[in-house]
Amino acid sequence: MNRRVVIAVVVAGCGQDVDPPWQLDHDRVMAVRITPPRIASGEVAEVDALIGRKAQPPTVVDPDTAEVVSPTRLAGVLGRRSTRWTVTAPGDDQLDPARRELGLAPGAPVPLRLRVRFAETRLVGLKIVWLGEHAENPVIDPVTIDGMDGLAASQLSVAVGVDIPLSVDFDDSYNINWLTSCGTMHDFDLAKAHLRVEPTDPQSGSLAIVVHDVLGGVDWHVWPITAK
Amino acid sequence: MHWAGRALVALASAWTFSGGAVIAQPAAPPDPASPPAPAPRTITVTGRVIDRLGSPIRGASVAVENVADRVTTDRDGRFKIEAPLGATLVVTSDRQGAGLANVTGPELPDVVLFDLANEKIEVGGEAPTAALGTTHLEREELQRLPGTGGDVVRTLNAMPGVVNVQIPLGYSGVVIRGSSPQDSKVLIDDFEIPLLFHPLGIRAVVPAESVQSLTFIPGGFDVSYGRSSSGIVLLTTRPGADETRSAQAELSLIDGGLLAQGPLGKHTRYMFALRRSVIDFVLPLVIPDSVDLSLTTVPQYWDEQLRIDHELSSAWNLSLSSVGTDDIFELFTTKDEDAGSKRLFSRTRFIRLTAAAKYHEGDWQATLALSGMLSELRAEVGLYQKLDVRTPLVTPRVLLTRSMKEAAGLKDVVWSSGTEAQIGYSSVDLALPLERREGEPFPPYDPRDTASHFTGSVWFPDFAAWTSIAATFDPRIRITTGVRADVFGRPREVAIQPRGEIKVKLTDTLSSRFAAGMYRRPPEFQSEFLEKDVKSERSQQATMGLEYTPILGVRLQGSLYYTDRSALITHNVDGTLGNNGRGTSKGAELLAMIHGGTWFGWFGYSYSNSVRVDQPGGAVRLFDYDQPHSLNVAASWKRDHWQLGARFQLYSGLPYTPVVGAEFDSDRNLHIPISGEVNSARAPIHHELDLRVDYAWKWGSTAMLAYLDVQNVYLDRSVVTYFYSYDYSQRSAFESLPLIPSVGLRAVL
Repeated sequence: MNRRVVIAVVVAGCGQDVDPPWQLDHDRVMAVRITPPRIASGEVAEVDALIGRKAQPPTVVDPDTAEVVSPTRLAGVLGRRSTRWTVTAPGDDQLDPARRELGLAPGAPVPLRLRVRFAETRLVGLKIVWLGEHAENPVIDPVTIDGMDGLAASQLSVAVGVDIPLSVDFDDSYNINWLTSCGTMHDFDLAKAHLRVEPTDPQSGSLAIVVHDVLGGVDWHVWPITAK
Repeated sequence: MHWAGRALVALASAWTFSGGAVIAQPAAPPDPASPPAPAPRTITVTGRVIDRLGSPIRGASVAVENVADRVTTDRDGRFKIEAPLGATLVVTSDRQGAGLANVTGPELPDVVLFDLANEKIEVGGEAPTAALGTTHLEREELQRLPGTGGDVVRTLNAMPGVVNVQIPLGYSGVVIRGSSPQDSKVLIDDFEIPLLFHPLGIRAVVPAESVQSLTFIPGGFDVSYGRSSSGIVLLTTRPGADETRSAQAELSLIDGGLLAQGPLGKHTRYMFALRRSVIDFVLPLVIPDSVDLSLTTVPQYWDEQLRIDHELSSAWNLSLSSVGTDDIFELFTTKDEDAGSKRLFSRTRFIRLTAAAKYHEGDWQATLALSGMLSELRAEVGLYQKLDVRTPLVTPRVLLTRSMKEAAGLKDVVWSSGTEAQIGYSSVDLALPLERREGEPFPPYDPRDTASHFTGSVWFPDFAAWTSIAATFDPRIRITTGVRADVFGRPREVAIQPRGEIKVKLTDTLSSRFAAGMYRRPPEFQSEFLEKDVKSERSQQATMGLEYTPILGVRLQGSLYYTDRSALITHNVDGTLGNNGRGTSKGAELLAMIHGGTWFGWFGYSYSNSVRVDQPGGAVRLFDYDQPHSLNVAASWKRDHWQLGARFQLYSGLPYTPVVGAEFDSDRNLHIPISGEVNSARAPIHHELDLRVDYAWKWGSTAMLAYLDVQNVYLDRSVVTYFYSYDYSQRSAFESLPLIPSVGLRAVL
């Protein structure tokens, strides 16, 4: 969005009638995950996603459909085993022509771009799987919620009308999103955020954190949350 | 006094003049039965005396008919005199002859004096306009138009041909005849400035108090102007007064300023003005605490204007002028001011200094000018995106004009020729997303996207030369023709642009004009100048219409125009820039101005249709700023202490490209919009009523003025544009502010 429009919208206090990006009570794709996100020849990766649904808690789902967007010459590496969509990294005999097509250096990992569809194909996600080298997804640990270890809690209970500090231990190179359907999230895209639930807000819902790294890795964590 | 002037004074008791036509009116014998008529009220009358080319006449004598006392016009041709309402003013000049004007109110229209060599005298008209469709407003008129807050920006929006939007977001220039902002130029004292608005478009960088006049030329301008493929806006800074010094202060909710002016010795006069925003004091008070925002540096600006005029001799005048602005803000979209990823910073500043020497002796006029400008544009968004462009620029210009009564069998021949250079050097450091071009959908906001980056420096040496000649072939036909050559050094391009105009005087009050010409805009917008292969954009303009001045102070003009645009700069498939676009603009404009006595009226309407194709074989689409209808009707009444005004505006919304879906890119953690047909939807029509009240009074020796200017008094909240939620599944209207009051107080010492 134009910078001036951003400022004008903020200053004028507009935008109250669209959901903010931290709102979980909304049909959306929150993250598409490949496990692992980068695979060496012969390795197999699985595809799933974290989906937000209006008036429902977020769920981890398998795509309804999946297709290779590019390079299409590697379409055969995408397959389905039972209910899971998988990608199997081919050898250099298939990767080298793809590298030439994409103008990549010899031996460089090849980005395989996938389009995946969910919720009876209404929600669409794009995700790259890197072929030719191995990397793991990041791990969210620790998470601190209101001064306590968030990973140790299976359900969160927070006070109404006070700022609830939230933090994770990632630097600015990570893409961090705090999301909620209970209260208002402040600084939702920073490592240190805070949640505030007012009496007029829904008093229960979900809290989620989603973290993307620069290698294409992703991790998330979801809690049920109630306000007192 | 010239012999013809004396003869005119003698004739004046038996003849009156109306609308430039001489009407015989024998004096009626007195009726002894009638009671004596009450003495007319004496008022202070101001006006200006000019020659037929529009140049001010200095030293002209102005007197009330049959009264010995007289005043003399100043260097700008201006005069002020006490005169009874309905009286006749006799204006005489040794060089230019004589004329008469009727006192119909405190402000008179320009009095045009024609040389007496032809034994022909015309009185009370207006200066010929630079081109068909041109609008010229003096400072008093700029400040009188309701709904403008006395600001040049909003005044421009009332001009037929200027695209009108509630808030001119996203551009810093003027959009004329449906083209793009970069296609038109804004000149102050004949030299370009890089921006006209402060951020959010709420204020011009030059306050109306520092402006002598504004001339808006929507197209068809002559060869002395270049580097524009659409229109020109000319602002002239206000010279200091000849006789008395004064200082004034003005304060409104948006900004406050000081202005000082007056003589410096016998031959020198000055004007200096300084303005600072005050909205940065107001804004933090109105932003709720709950908003995640830290205004580290609240949007603030400084503006300065300086002008010094010195009369070196009767033939030579020197001037030095400066215009500058400094605009800065820094904010964090969080309460945490250490969060660099949430930081927005912007600083835009420039200062232009111009020295000019003007010569006028006999038939010859010359202008030698040297102007320099330093500009800086800096922006930083988050941790990765930045823009830093610093440019020193120097522009020497020489202009020579000779006016001849007769030459080669032609009459009233005016030959003009000039040359200029514009040499600049930009040091550039940028890392930004690929820029959005005209018609392209807004990309998703990705703070990590730096697909376009450049670090280095760029020279752009541009040169121009032009010549033109205007002559009267027949008492009713005047033809102007000329050619301009621009050399754009960066793309190594020579652009030859012939232009011409035929003016036919159908009656004494009705003229028709037809103009056609070729125009070029160099590649200098956004990142265009970074690519050597990008050439200038071209336009061919044709304009025809009528000008009608039925009576003194009334002007009607209507015009039709057609502009063919080619070599428009667009993105190639690989993201580079090329000259592959074409387009056309066509429309009609109508303007009526009434300025007489206590009344000032304005009616402006324009119809426009602007379409383009971005690549050969591509789909035809509307320009981003295509605005089919724009109507402005205003009236202002001024008497004694009070001035009341109202203005009604109605105009089409701008086109936009709807978003029909989106895909979530998990690696970039953002949604990518899927756009519908380019500019296939349009924002709703907007209409509003604006009111203005001025009250002037004396406080001791200080002249005070308070004003209240309220825009959109009946709270029409129409849509400026739409913005979408993060995933494009919802959209919300960005509406105009419901009611925009502007309150101000001015004190003149």
